[in-house]
Amino acid sequence: MKKIFMAVLLLVTMIFTGCGGGSDSAGDGKLSVMLGSNVVSLDSANATDVASFEVIADCIDGLMQLDSEGKAIPALAESYDVSEDGKTYTFHLREAKWANGDPVTADDFVFAWRRHCQKAEEYSYIMGNTVACVKNADAVIKGADPMTLGVSAPDAKTFVVELDAPVPFFPSLMTFATFYPINEKFYNSLEEGSYGTSPETFLSNGAFVLESYIPGTANIKLKKNDSYWNAAQISLDKWEYQIVSSSDNALTSFKNGTLSLVGIGGNQVEHVKKDAELSKNLQTFPSGILQYLSFNQDPKNHHAGALSNVNLRLAISNAIDRESLVENYIMSGAKATYTAVPVEFAPNAETGKFFSEDQKKFSDVVGFNVDKAQNFLKKAQSELGKENFELNLIYSNDGDSATKVVQAIKSQVEENLPGVTIKLQPMPKAEYLSNLTSNNYDLALTDWKPDYDDPMTFFTLWTTSGCEIAEHWSNADYDKIISDCTTGALASDYSARWNALYDAEKILLDNAVIAPLCTDYSAVLISPSVTGIDFHVAGVDRVFKNVKLK
Amino acid sequence: MYKPEPDDFEFISDRDITVDTNFASQGYWKSVAVHFLKNRFAVTGLVLVAVIIVFAVFAPLVSSYGYQEIISVTDSVGKEITAKSLSPQFGGGDSQNLFSDRTFLFGTDDMGRDLWTRTWQGARVSLIIAFVAIFIDMLIGMSYGLISGFFGGTVDNILQRFIEIIGSIPTLVIISILAIFMEKGIGLVIVSLLITEWIPMSKIARAECLKLKEREYVLASRTLGAGSFHIIFKQILPNTMGPIITQVMFSIPVAIFTEAFLSFVGVGIVLPQCSIGSLIEAGFNNVTILPYQILPPICVLAILMLGFNLIGDGIREALSPKLEDM
Amino acid sequence: MTKYVAKRILMSALTLLAITFVLFVLIRIMPGDPFPVERMSAEMILQKREELGLNKPILEQFVNYMSMLLSGSFGNGTSLYNGAPIKPILTACLINSFKIGVLSILFGTAVGLAIGIVAALNRGKFLDGLCTLVSILGVCIPSYVFMIFLQYFFSYKIPFFPYFFDPSNFLMSSIMPALSLSLFAISTIARFTRNEMLEVINSDYVKLAEAKGLYGFELIRKHVLRNALIPIVTVIAPLVVSLLTGAMVIEKIYGINGVGKLMVDAIAGQGVDYNYVLALSIVFSAMYIAAMLVLDILYGIIDPRVRLTKKEG
Repeated sequence: MKKIFMAVLLLVTMIFTGCGGGSDSAGDGKLSVMLGSNVVSLDSANATDVASFEVIADCIDGLMQLDSEGKAIPALAESYDVSEDGKTYTFHLREAKWANGDPVTADDFVFAWRRHCQKAEEYSYIMGNTVACVKNADAVIKGADPMTLGVSAPDAKTFVVELDAPVPFFPSLMTFATFYPINEKFYNSLEEGSYGTSPETFLSNGAFVLESYIPGTANIKLKKNDSYWNAAQISLDKWEYQIVSSSDNALTSFKNGTLSLVGIGGNQVEHVKKDAELSKNLQTFPSGILQYLSFNQDPKNHHAGALSNVNLRLAISNAIDRESLVENYIMSGAKATYTAVPVEFAPNAETGKFFSEDQKKFSDVVGFNVDKAQNFLKKAQSELGKENFELNLIYSNDGDSATKVVQAIKSQVEENLPGVTIKLQPMPKAEYLSNLTSNNYDLALTDWKPDYDDPMTFFTLWTTSGCEIAEHWSNADYDKIISDCTTGALASDYSARWNALYDAEKILLDNAVIAPLCTDYSAVLISPSVTGIDFHVAGVDRVFKNVKLK
Repeated sequence: MYKPEPDDFEFISDRDITVDTNFASQGYWKSVAVHFLKNRFAVTGLVLVAVIIVFAVFAPLVSSYGYQEIISVTDSVGKEITAKSLSPQFGGGDSQNLFSDRTFLFGTDDMGRDLWTRTWQGARVSLIIAFVAIFIDMLIGMSYGLISGFFGGTVDNILQRFIEIIGSIPTLVIISILAIFMEKGIGLVIVSLLITEWIPMSKIARAECLKLKEREYVLASRTLGAGSFHIIFKQILPNTMGPIITQVMFSIPVAIFTEAFLSFVGVGIVLPQCSIGSLIEAGFNNVTILPYQILPPICVLAILMLGFNLIGDGIREALSPKLEDM
Repeated sequence: MTKYVAKRILMSALTLLAITFVLFVLIRIMPGDPFPVERMSAEMILQKREELGLNKPILEQFVNYMSMLLSGSFGNGTSLYNGAPIKPILTACLINSFKIGVLSILFGTAVGLAIGIVAALNRGKFLDGLCTLVSILGVCIPSYVFMIFLQYFFSYKIPFFPYFFDPSNFLMSSIMPALSLSLFAISTIARFTRNEMLEVINSDYVKLAEAKGLYGFELIRKHVLRNALIPIVTVIAPLVVSLLTGAMVIEKIYGINGVGKLMVDAIAGQGVDYNYVLALSIVFSAMYIAAMLVLDILYGIIDPRVRLTKKEG
């Protein structure tokens, strides 16, 4: 018996040797930030999610960065020149160093950009002809020689990009992580696939360096990078991320001082609003995420006979009370949206007005009006010769708010449109995406987060050849407007392009290709001791470079 | 040589046999029942489960709200207000507060549905899932175990390898694959329980069978020419019923638990349907700010667990009365 | 004996191979592509599938996969921790889960044994009832619910334990998850111990020992405990496996990067990461089979009759 006891004791000590140490409580004078999901990868070519882009941007600077207003200002590029036709950008790099002492050169950009196109991961598309229009990017993504990509480095401090078409928002695109540099020498010294999997295999040139990280960890620690070109401006010494999956955990960990910045859900927002002390810390920011219903018009689909009828689509779109949706069920500050582009997104560079400033623009087709909806339904019923429609609504069940939104939609549509029943089908994200791409659904609750600050990030979703998440809808006029605006005649005329996009939106909404629902807002609690966190709608969500602690 | 005469024989029933009425021989199951009912814990368990079943059957029927119904009223300015996230209230309130004259014994959830109705509807769904799944599991597991144990040798070896393969595939993988072929919901949960839960049942049946097949009475009926299936199902099966029933009693709570887990990871019941698991999952998201939402389903779950476990323990003790004699 | 063990090990290896094949085929038919497709065109998706070798015949894919496994690699992630090799990540997660699992098994066994022994020795008395109740209560509440309450009371109301799992403060931050995980172990072991003890106490040789004049602690220690405890080993082995794989929800709530969380992320994430799901399933299966193997061999040592019947069969 004694021997067994000793063995057990030994085992316990063996397991815990090296562990221990006092627990330091957070709260004042410390920044610990909640991440809502795992970091997929710190390799900018493999990253596919908001969390990864954010952490990469903490550690690596690109050519440009976003200021607190969301405008692109120079970062590693000291300045840049644009050719007359808007198709060639020449960036002049500043003196900056990687954390290992190597200088940041134009070759680091050339290497990274070629690699991203060659790897053809999810975000490679952003180099291609729907977004950045980098010369030959689409060909390289399809397997052509990466050397043909339209990037070059005439000297160590000059980086030249050639485009297939002028892109009005190209400088602001440069704030996105896919366009960041990677140190080629460092990368090649690593084992295949190990780049970005630990602090040792990840090289910063930005404000912070990793202190502790492994893939899948729930806790990421960062510290200040002393060799950062703008190190004098960084006052944050050490801080950390904590991955928190439940909104309730987020609230309690904020209350007890474990975390100083958390995102919370609707029920938590309601709770915080009732608490005078706590509600002082509550802030909401537009997230640019548009939630909408996709209607599947694929004639091969077994219910599609019905949904290819525009009146049925209009009926459903007009039967949904969006105000009640955001007020009663989402509750975290989301705003009802009646346009195909979210509110408070994509300001016009000339007038400064947001693209969807006028929410009444399409009120004849998108809105909440039960009588109108029932009229549409009657038309649909007589046109289709069918009284009852049973529709499947698929959604990805990884969020609490989506579950509530679909239940509310089901209850509203079934109440307002007698004869229409909705069957809810929750599924994991992967399965949901594969159903969307294979057109195996009737209705889908979709959300789309903008990748860059231009309405085009939404409009390319509905072109015939665009993204695979399609409603199986095709319209030649619409496609023409979009291609004119990206690579065609309108690309260089800012205000004409802007107005053409409204025409495209009208085609989209008159045909009720989608039923826009709302624009998500993120509700966050920020500890009063933390100031200077910048929140952005597109690209990098949160920037911590200007954070000051009291 | 003596030749038997008819008079040599007489009908035994004509004789006057004294029957011992004081110590009448009891039937096996009757004695089990007596032992079971003597056990305070077991009876408590029975009562707990019975109470929950009664509520699960009748409460949704007599409730004034539907379990999917989003309750709303029109307020003084004609705006529709949803009764979401109301804490428990018992009606008879002042007319100032719009909902205070309504009765919500367990409060309402964050969609504005009555939790009293939903809790009992959820209990009903969970119980149906558990009973159906475990009953079929019992049939499958029993037959499989008996066949495996009775025939032994190569048959046993192959069947046991098969169990090892099935048993070692993670449940989450099984259910994700099943979800391709089936619609999500009660059916899917039942089928995934069928795939995993019959294994312990078959192991018990096999062990019992191994013990019983060497018994004299089995040998006797084999000598008399009984076929394998007759022996398995007529001779051995009835004698394995005791341990199997005990196992069933312990499997039902496991099934309810598994359902709760599946709902928690998002592959269980589809809302607005509900089960104990999906209610716990919904409540979990707001546990510290709206704790009354998670308490009813957790309490019902705990009472069911307690009840079935007490019953299981009671049956096990009643089946092995030698422990009683201590 | 050696021959029996060797045969049994060979058998397990074959079973594992069969399982790997079954898993491989099953995972290939899971819905969704193994990489995120939200922003890819149909062409890019085809290209990516080609690149990952998903268009080859399934047998060829399996052979490729096996040769990769045999060279000691699980491949790279395709959607979860995209591009990074799986093995180091999996190892780190296994170690975390293992540490917490061991802690909860140690705690569970100690408390479970104590409860079981006390109950058996006081059979039918008040203490027995109390112990039975305690051990049943352990299975009444799901471990994750218990974890939520622990977290709420002991790191929020009374901030004694860290609110989230902190690898640099392992001991303090693993107590709550280990405690909630051990509930099930406590009740299983307590019930099993009680029944075994009662059986042994009732056996002829203990009665004989009693007749010889042994009594009290000496009798319990020398004759009852020793014989009752051996079979308990057979419950603990599968418990270890179930604890390693069964902590999904707790790991998620408390932010532990363990294998359970990894599994959920791999199945329910952006894409179904085939390589992760496969690697984890194979590891889980291997653990399960190893536990069964250990059990069988233990049975063989404890009870020679098992070995004999196996030989005949």
